[in-house]
Amino acid sequence: MAEGIRIENLVKTYGSGDTAVHALRGVDMSVAKGEVVGLIGPSGSGKSTLLKCLGAVIEPTSGRMTIGDTVIYDDGWKVNDLRALRRDLIGFIFQAPYLIPFLDVTDNVALLPMLAGKSNTQARKEARDLLEALDVAHRAAAMPSQLSGGEQQRVSIARALVNRPPVILADEPTAPLDSVRALAVVDLLNTMAKQFETAIIVVTHDEKIIPTFRRLYNIRDGVTVEERASAPSGG
Amino acid sequence: MISLAGRDILHGWGKFVLTGVGLGLLIGVTLSMAGVYRGMIDDAQALLDNSGADLWVVQKDTLGPYAEPSSLNQDTERPIRAMAGVDRAAGVTYLTMQIAHEGKDVRVMVVGAEVAEPGEPGQPPHLIAGRRIVQGHYEAVADVKTGFAIGDEVMVRRNTYRIVGLTSRMVSSGGDPMLFLSLKDAQEAQFEKDSDAIVRQRARTASSPVLNPPGNPAVAEAVNAAQASSTNVNAVLVTVVPGADAEEVAATIRRWQRVTVYTRAQMEEILVEKMIANSARQIGMFLVILAIVSAAIVAFIIYSMTIAKIREIAVLKLIGTRNRTIAGMILQQALGLGLIGFAVGKIAATFWAPFFPKYVLLLPADSVRGFVAVMAICALASLLAIQAALKVDPAEAIGG
Repeated sequence: MAEGIRIENLVKTYGSGDTAVHALRGVDMSVAKGEVVGLIGPSGSGKSTLLKCLGAVIEPTSGRMTIGDTVIYDDGWKVNDLRALRRDLIGFIFQAPYLIPFLDVTDNVALLPMLAGKSNTQARKEARDLLEALDVAHRAAAMPSQLSGGEQQRVSIARALVNRPPVILADEPTAPLDSVRALAVVDLLNTMAKQFETAIIVVTHDEKIIPTFRRLYNIRDGVTVEERASAPSGG
Repeated sequence: MISLAGRDILHGWGKFVLTGVGLGLLIGVTLSMAGVYRGMIDDAQALLDNSGADLWVVQKDTLGPYAEPSSLNQDTERPIRAMAGVDRAAGVTYLTMQIAHEGKDVRVMVVGAEVAEPGEPGQPPHLIAGRRIVQGHYEAVADVKTGFAIGDEVMVRRNTYRIVGLTSRMVSSGGDPMLFLSLKDAQEAQFEKDSDAIVRQRARTASSPVLNPPGNPAVAEAVNAAQASSTNVNAVLVTVVPGADAEEVAATIRRWQRVTVYTRAQMEEILVEKMIANSARQIGMFLVILAIVSAAIVAFIIYSMTIAKIREIAVLKLIGTRNRTIAGMILQQALGLGLIGFAVGKIAATFWAPFFPKYVLLLPADSVRGFVAVMAICALASLLAIQAALKVDPAEAIGG
C-alpha cells in the first residue's frame, strides 16, 4: 500500500541545558493509506507531544516527517503555511467531538471546505454526501447539542474526512462512548480509511478497542515500539 | 463563507439581545444627557427668539436680565424710542416664582410686558389657544407646560389672574414655563412689599413731621403711594427698524444713556457660554463617564463570550481558520451588540424624553455622532477579546 505518513527519528525537546525535557527521543512510525494504527502509552510517555508534532501545531526539534510524497518537516518546516497544511492534509478527531455549537451539523462539516475556498453550495453538498456515508444525514439540520454522543462523534469524523486529507489524527475518539458505540466508531474508522484511502492514527487508552488494531505502536519515554504487526482479531 | 458571528448570535440570541437591551438603556441615558444639553441651548435660544428683541437694554455693568439682576426706570424706554434706527422699545420684568395650582406648586417665570398694543417686544409671539391680554389688570397668558388651562384662575402674590391665552415653547433659560402678565401687574407682583412692612412704613411716615407735616395729610398719602408702587423694569427690549444695523443702534444707545446694551449675539453668548457653561461641563463629564462605562461593559461581555468559546476557537484554528476570520467574528459580535444597544437606546431615549421635566432635544446629528461613537467604542472594546482569541494555541484542542 502507498504510504500515508512516515516519521523518522523525530525528536522534541522542551527547554535546554539542565532543565531540558526530552519528550520525544527519536520516534519512527509509518502508516499506509487506508490503514488504521493504534498508538498507546502511559501518561507522560509523549503521546500528546507526538500528536501535536504530527498535527503541525508544535515544531519538532529534529527528524523528518512526510505525508504522501510531501516532506513537511526535515529538521525544520518545509511548508510555509502550517494553517493550510492542517486544513488540507490533516484531519482531526478529538476526545470530545468539539463541534462548533452555533453551527448545525451540515455547516460543522461544510466549514472546512468553505475555509479551503469552496462555495457554500459545493461545501454543503460535500458535507451532506459524507453525512450520508456516515449514516447521520437525517440529523443534518440539527444543532450539535441535539445529537447523541455517538452521532456527535460521527459528525466529527465527517468533519475530519471532508477535505479528503491523506492523514487523520484521532485523539481518544472513543473515550466518552460505551463498548458497543466505541467498537462501532473503530469499525467506521476502518471503513472510512479504506474508502477514502486515509492513514488514521488513533491515540487511545481504551482497552475495549486496543485489540482491534492490526498494527499498534506503544510509546514509552519518548520512543515508539511497534508491538503488533497484524491484528489477532481482525479489527 | 458563512458568517460565524451571525450564527453565534442567532444561536444565543436571547442572551445577546438581553445584553444588548441592557447596553441600550445605558446608551439611552447617554443620548438623553446629550438631549438635555441640547434642550438647554434650545431653551436659551427660544427665550431670545420669543422675546422678539434685537437689543437688550439693562442696568449699567450688569449681565441682566437673565443672568444677573438688573433694574432700570421704566422711563428709560422713552428716549430710546426716539433714537435713530429704533422701531419699538418696551420695558419688561422677569420674576421666577412658585404658583400654587390644583394642589401642586408650579414653578414659573412671571413676565411683565406692555399690553397696550399687540406685537410689543416681550409679549408672547404666538398663541396656541385663547387671546392676548387686553385688559390692564388680572389677565394672564401661560405656556402650556404650566399645566394651566384657559379660564383657570391662578394666584400671583395677593392677586388672582384669569388665564385668557396659551402659548408654547416660552420658557426661561432654566426651562421654567412663562406666565405673562401686564407690565403693571408684574411690577406690582415683583416689587410688592408684604403687609407688615407696609404697615410699619406707613407708621414711620406718619410719625415723621417732615413726611407728615401737620395740617397737610396729602403729603403723607403721596409718600405712601410712592413707596408702595414701582415703575422699575428689569430691561428694555428694543427692536430695530428693518435694514438698520443692530450694532450701530446699540452703540447709539450706549453713547446717550447710562445703560448696558447687548445685541442678540452677545446675549446668546451670555446665556450659552456663561449660564449653561457649568451645566455643559457637568453633562460632558457624565457623557465621558457613561462612554467609559459602556466600553467597559461591552469589553467585559465580549471578552466573557470569547473566553467561553476558547476550546471552539482552538478547534477553529486547528482546522485551518485564519486569525482574521476569528478576529472578524469577535469584532462583528461587538458591533452587533453595539447596533442592538444603539437601536434600543435611541428608541428608549425617544420614548422617555417627553417625560423629562426639562426639554430634551434629540438632534438627528447627535444620533449619528452617538452611533459612530458606539461603534467605535464597541470596536475598541473588542480588542481585548480579539487579543485573547489570537493567543489561543490550536494545540489546546489536542490532548487537553
